[in-house]
Amino acid sequence: MSTDQDKLIAELVEKGLTGDMESINSIEDRVLRSKAKAALAKAKRAAKSQETADPQKKKSEEKSSDDFSSSVNLNERIENMINEKFPGSLVNKNTETHIQLKPDQWFDIATWLKSESSLSFDSLQCQTGIDVGDNILEARYNFHSMKHKHYTEIRIAVPRQEATIPSVEQIWRIADWFERETYDMLGIEFSGHRDLRRILLPDDWEGWPLRKDYQVQETYHGIVVPKMKEGWE
Amino acid sequence: MGVVHGEEMVLNIGPQHPATHGVLRLQVRTDGEVVSEVTPYLGYLHRCFEKHCENVTYEQVIPFTDRCDYLASMTNNFGYVVAMEDLMDIKVNERVEHIRVIMAELQRIASHLLGLGAFGLDIGAFTPFLHMLRDRERILDLFEMTCGARLLYNYMWVGGLSHDLPVGFVESTYRFLDYFEPKIDEFVNLLVHNKIFVERTADVGRLPQDVAISYGVSGPNLRASGQKWDLRKDDPYSIYDRFEFDIPVGEGGKGSVGDCWDRFYVRVLEMKESIKILRQALSSLPKEGDVYQSLPKKIRPPIGSIYKRTESPRGDLGYYIESDGTNIPYRLKMRSPAFTALSVIDEIAAGWLLSDVLAILGSLDIVLGEIDR
Amino acid sequence: MVRDGINELQWSRRNKMGLLENRFNDNVIVEKLDKLLSWGRSTSPWFFQFGTACCAIEMMAAAASRHDLMRIGMIPRSSPRQADVMIVAGTVTMKMALRVKKLYEQMADPKYVVAMGSCATSGGPYWQHGYHVLKGVDIVIPVDVYVPGCPPRPEALIEGLLKLQEQILDERPLTRKMA
Repeated sequence: MSTDQDKLIAELVEKGLTGDMESINSIEDRVLRSKAKAALAKAKRAAKSQETADPQKKKSEEKSSDDFSSSVNLNERIENMINEKFPGSLVNKNTETHIQLKPDQWFDIATWLKSESSLSFDSLQCQTGIDVGDNILEARYNFHSMKHKHYTEIRIAVPRQEATIPSVEQIWRIADWFERETYDMLGIEFSGHRDLRRILLPDDWEGWPLRKDYQVQETYHGIVVPKMKEGWE
Repeated sequence: MGVVHGEEMVLNIGPQHPATHGVLRLQVRTDGEVVSEVTPYLGYLHRCFEKHCENVTYEQVIPFTDRCDYLASMTNNFGYVVAMEDLMDIKVNERVEHIRVIMAELQRIASHLLGLGAFGLDIGAFTPFLHMLRDRERILDLFEMTCGARLLYNYMWVGGLSHDLPVGFVESTYRFLDYFEPKIDEFVNLLVHNKIFVERTADVGRLPQDVAISYGVSGPNLRASGQKWDLRKDDPYSIYDRFEFDIPVGEGGKGSVGDCWDRFYVRVLEMKESIKILRQALSSLPKEGDVYQSLPKKIRPPIGSIYKRTESPRGDLGYYIESDGTNIPYRLKMRSPAFTALSVIDEIAAGWLLSDVLAILGSLDIVLGEIDR
Repeated sequence: MVRDGINELQWSRRNKMGLLENRFNDNVIVEKLDKLLSWGRSTSPWFFQFGTACCAIEMMAAAASRHDLMRIGMIPRSSPRQADVMIVAGTVTMKMALRVKKLYEQMADPKYVVAMGSCATSGGPYWQHGYHVLKGVDIVIPVDVYVPGCPPRPEALIEGLLKLQEQILDERPLTRKMA
């Protein structure tokens, strides 16, 4: 596409966003007209997702001033406390939905999270492993406190080649099985875990299925593992 | 596994066994009668649910969530739909909310019926199993009248439902409730105060409260240990905050708090509470309303993530959804309550007899489809 | 039944009937041994409850009081040694496939297999991205009857089992099979 056409389409999209469809509809060339319309639809979608992202943030701030303690303020409070007690662990991402940490002092921070009386996160609700692309794997922990009834989410990112995070199974006993499952599906190793082995897949399975570049193995004990059944064979 | 001492033997229960509620393998170290260690082995039903969710669209995920906990698929759908509507900021109208609550509570009764019947079957009582299945069939008739399926419904969609209530549903449900309420007393007579049942389950497999919280146990298992925690009251979603109902808590009626009998009795009492909610929801069900009103044309949530929990008959069912702006989820994790309930079996089953291990396993009410996903 | 002028023996020979036909009262049946054996096998097949997933619940519902499986002669047995039919109800995964094969080999002849549900037939809804799902149980064991559905209704399962009974009835276990 030539740069003239690019400029023309950009102008038409600008006009279309303000509501002026005449200039697009009056183009003779069918191909150019359809390209302009496609570009306009894309721009509208991008603008809409910007809008919905803002009310989402506002809504979460409104909700947080309900019975449960305000999660935004809670996250800020926790971040400040972590910065004081365990300097260097916080990765400054400045989001209200979660706290991003480095894996080095995670065991100590976790012990403190459970024992600190104003927080008392005595229940690990969910642990998710996720492959965020760019060769980074993340482990996300959702905590909940039975006493104070507040929630928080903590994320720890590790590089793909050396994915090791300290294990917290001594603190919350359910982390035993959650970490085994994350290891099974993504290959993140948890150092200090007393019995880290596969839990869902057989012990001699090859590969980490939930990574985005997973290739299914060809056979398992002589049974063919088809990658994808094309139609009906 | 380590060294086996001379007097001990290692016994495999399963994966094919009538009492293991699915394909679960329990490796039991015993000296013949008393069990010293129980190790569960999972994964015999791992059906790659999370990998499927990364390759199909958001609407197509709903039938897959059905099949995870196949005994309570309405509540599975409910949990997913509530999480998605929170992520996308969709509000549904009153009729949809009421119908969802009605279906979820009917499903809770059906699931408890099967769970309790199977528990009785494990202990050796065959008759209550047939009674409970007979009543469950009537609930499945109601579901079949609405959406055509008996077990896996695909009923609750993001922003609405798949079918509206048919003509005559409300009357049939009232008839069912009037028929069913005296039946609970029948079960109580048959099984709950039955001397043999009490001897086999009272004081067996005690689960202390702090151990339960540390292991993430939730739902009736946690309530039987004395902690009053129900997501419908403590973190309400949908319209549960409008209804009046109690939370039954285990009090050690026949033995100590948190034993198998408590877990059984809490479920029986929960069925009674569900009937209360059903009557209130049916009487306040609005007659007008389009169930397809808020269905989005395309489900494309904004970039972000959400973790939302709802109360399924087994406990806290959580969905962690991460979206990257397209119409296919980037990552969807289902946090299943039965997974956490099974993890506690090594703590509470060590030191009991072999037949008690099966009683404890039955009282936890697990479903392998949800554990292995 | 004596016609005029001839006795029973001559009547039988003339009408080319067997020596025993209609010579006694109605509570005597004469039949080939083949048919007798296959009739006996088909009308009381005891099934091996191998339920893995959701279809197992429908199998249990079929054996319960509303759709009664016992009226067609089937009793659930938990041990493979005591069973004739194995109903594979539910998804079979790779981890379980080796055990399925072992259980099938432990059953005594004559044995039959019913694949219940789409997962046992061909992988079911997990056919596309299920790396751990066996796409059909007939990869590891031979199957006689396929019952489609997800899950199949108990009535559909009963139809499949009746078809299996018809199949068994047609067998000739004692006849020497021509190569």
